[in-house]
Amino acid sequence: MPEGVQAPPKETAAGTEGRPRLVVCLPPSEGALELVRLAHRRAAALGADWFALTVETPGQADLLPQKQEALRQALQWAAQLGGQVVRASGVRVGPEILRFARENRATCILVGKAGGRRRPRLWGRSLADCLLRHSGVEVWIVPLPEGEPEGAAPRGTRPRFRRWLWEYGLAVAGVGLTSTVAGLLSPWLSFTGLALLYLLAVALISATVSRGPALLAAAAGVAAADFLFVPEYWSFRLAYPDYALTLVVMLAVSIIISGLTARSRFQARVARLRERQAAAMSELGQKLSLAANRETLLATAVAHLGEVLEARVSVLLPGPEGELTLAAGPPLPEDVRESMVARWVYRHRHPAGAGTDTLPAVRALYVPLGPPQDPVGVLRVELPDQGLVVSEMLPLLQGLARQVGLALEREELSRQARAAQVEIEAERLRNILLSSVSHDLRTPLTVIAGSASTLLENPGLDKATRAELAHNIYEEARRLDRLVHNLLEMSRLESGRVELHPDWHDLEEVLGSALHQLETRLQGRPLVLELDPDLPLVQVDAILLERVLINLLDNALKYSPGDRPITLKAHRSKGEVVVEVADHGPGLPPGAEARVFDKFYQAAPGTHRGVGLGLSICRSIVEMHGGRMEAANRPEGGAVFRFTLPLGKDAPADNGEMPHPQGQAPHETPHSPY
Amino acid sequence: MKPRILLIEDDVHIRRFLRASLPTQGYELLEAADGREGLSLAASQPVEVILLDLGLPDLEGLEIIRQVRQWSRVPIIVLSARDQEREKVITLDAGADDYLTKPFGVGELLARIRVALRRSMQDREGREETVFEVGNIRVDLEKRRVFRGGEEVHLTPTEYKLLTVLIRHAGKVVTHRQLLKEVWGPSFVDQGAYLRIFVRHLRRKLEDNPARPAFLLTDPGVGYRLRAPEE
Repeated sequence: MPEGVQAPPKETAAGTEGRPRLVVCLPPSEGALELVRLAHRRAAALGADWFALTVETPGQADLLPQKQEALRQALQWAAQLGGQVVRASGVRVGPEILRFARENRATCILVGKAGGRRRPRLWGRSLADCLLRHSGVEVWIVPLPEGEPEGAAPRGTRPRFRRWLWEYGLAVAGVGLTSTVAGLLSPWLSFTGLALLYLLAVALISATVSRGPALLAAAAGVAAADFLFVPEYWSFRLAYPDYALTLVVMLAVSIIISGLTARSRFQARVARLRERQAAAMSELGQKLSLAANRETLLATAVAHLGEVLEARVSVLLPGPEGELTLAAGPPLPEDVRESMVARWVYRHRHPAGAGTDTLPAVRALYVPLGPPQDPVGVLRVELPDQGLVVSEMLPLLQGLARQVGLALEREELSRQARAAQVEIEAERLRNILLSSVSHDLRTPLTVIAGSASTLLENPGLDKATRAELAHNIYEEARRLDRLVHNLLEMSRLESGRVELHPDWHDLEEVLGSALHQLETRLQGRPLVLELDPDLPLVQVDAILLERVLINLLDNALKYSPGDRPITLKAHRSKGEVVVEVADHGPGLPPGAEARVFDKFYQAAPGTHRGVGLGLSICRSIVEMHGGRMEAANRPEGGAVFRFTLPLGKDAPADNGEMPHPQGQAPHETPHSPY
Repeated sequence: MKPRILLIEDDVHIRRFLRASLPTQGYELLEAADGREGLSLAASQPVEVILLDLGLPDLEGLEIIRQVRQWSRVPIIVLSARDQEREKVITLDAGADDYLTKPFGVGELLARIRVALRRSMQDREGREETVFEVGNIRVDLEKRRVFRGGEEVHLTPTEYKLLTVLIRHAGKVVTHRQLLKEVWGPSFVDQGAYLRIFVRHLRRKLEDNPARPAFLLTDPGVGYRLRAPEE
């Protein structure tokens, strides 16, 4: 029994100091359900927190499946009723209960006292006595019904039954074999030597079988030794009393050996299990902490859990409308019950599905993700064999699910933090926008208002002046329209609301229509066009690409003197088309080559009218098309803006392979060419 | 008799400046402030052209076009905002004849109205043009011969077919879909690439500077427009 009080587990300590705590010990028997019922009632009456404790002991593996099932049900029920389920393991039940009660400062222990024949020493009088003697807390002992008749094992448990048979058979066969060997060696060995041989056999048998068969081997060994090698031979009667002592010692040593080996094997098994769980948990923690975003986090979790549990694992998370949807892992089978169970688990915060009591008809086990009181989703685990492993695996599974849930929550929090950062940036941009827009919109508005009011208030103006003022109004209105259009375009691009409608387009045609739009402003301006005549079609959104060309040309017009030529080039280069717009103006200030594409950047503020959005829009559009955009100063003077457009793989060829309306003159066959 | 134009437009200022300009250009203007009033005016009075705003408060422009088209082939010119390319195409495919992007100048509007009137007059009189001439391009539709500046140009059958469709709609926009359907057939309406390639060929054969076309104009995102002789 460990000395000293250890810190209670976290979840039992938080916020409930001072409330009474009740521990109910659940035995692996049908009485466990009754105990849960009682504990729940008492805890409610006392206003107590309560724990459903079960202690795994070495003998438990030998128990009938019905008993284990009863215990599992009881534990689940306890959890549903608000009890905290705790599994401990130890060699003896009593000390484990006491240790747990002490560590968690339990005020009351509830145990059952059965007349059951199977484990009278642990669950009968001596357990209650042990608790009463050592606990120093209130102990309630509840009489439980007699253990039910064991009956035939149900069909599903045949493998276990077979293992039993095999182990007992092995014990008997081992003793038989030893007896044969001992018989052969008996001419040369004393009885003590033969007895040691039997001890060796018992030790070997104990090392491979569970406790029951080991004890059988011990008893059978002693009986065989007595029957075969103690005078009188072929009888159990003892001729000399010192043989009796040897036999008694032999029996005692055999029993101790079998007990010790069984115990150490059990502890090794528990240790292995714990180790595996701890390794799985820590590895998962490490992997999750490396995940950069929600998608990789989910993918990592699904992959890791799948590997550790050797199962198909999926994660279901609530969507925007609270409806659980698949977030990672293989999709659910097309069975409405599966999603129903998932929803149940999410709502009731409790595991359900295959291998459990609740809604077991589905193929997978569903466990809430994240903290039990506030799950963030549901973990779906489809184990390859849904046998009896679920009850053993559930604690590990819940631990893992909790870890994944916490990681998701953490990720969500950091995402929110990032979103807040983006929001701040957007706010900053909005402020710049507002101040610059209010300036740039007011200038043309001032011209319009001024010209119009002059026209209104001076009916005597000469015809030429009137025409000039009207022209003023018209020009400024056009400018305002361009400005508003750019602003709208930018905000649409920024918000990601722009949908690309790509189709195969002739670059020459798009350029032609951009030039057409700028016709009045281009009048008198020398324009040099150097377009590769064999340019293939490009897959672009023509309207957006036209906007790029208009903005680049507009920029060139604004920033170079009215008589200097503007050059437009387009040629094919490797897998892309390169388009250049060059002017013969003063060029870009040093260091501005990259910054000209920033929003609201103006190379020479105040000298030209505009918001500083045009080039920024160009870059956004080009990048949407998978191209690059850059600005540079030309060695011969002036600035050049260059962008690329990737060439699609299956660009329609301009080689007459187009389907023509065939056979007859086309105007006579307006329909179907084939 | 002055041609009568029905304007269906909810914005009072737009109505005001059109009221100031259209009558001085020899048109009679009927005004409707919403779709229902517009429909009832169009049904009760003979009109030569309908100018239809796309953003009416009561009825979708598309709905009005469909209703009018049930009983009349009167030209409909749609007035729409700039970012509504898809709506423009939809209304044109639904039976509108042309469109004008806001903000527009009176000059552009008058040109569109003239084209629409010429077209509907031709339709009424059932007169087929035998020769089409614009700029230095001359197309003899009877003999199926095309000349540019007096020199004959050789077109492939598909190019010629494309050109005749554009001539039939000269002055107004023809959507990509309409062109593909009329030239290649209904199953090719999504094959925009064919159209682009053949338009490029036509421009190289007919235009002096194909990169700055003077006749075969592009309406980005909507379709093509062959400049009408009177423009």
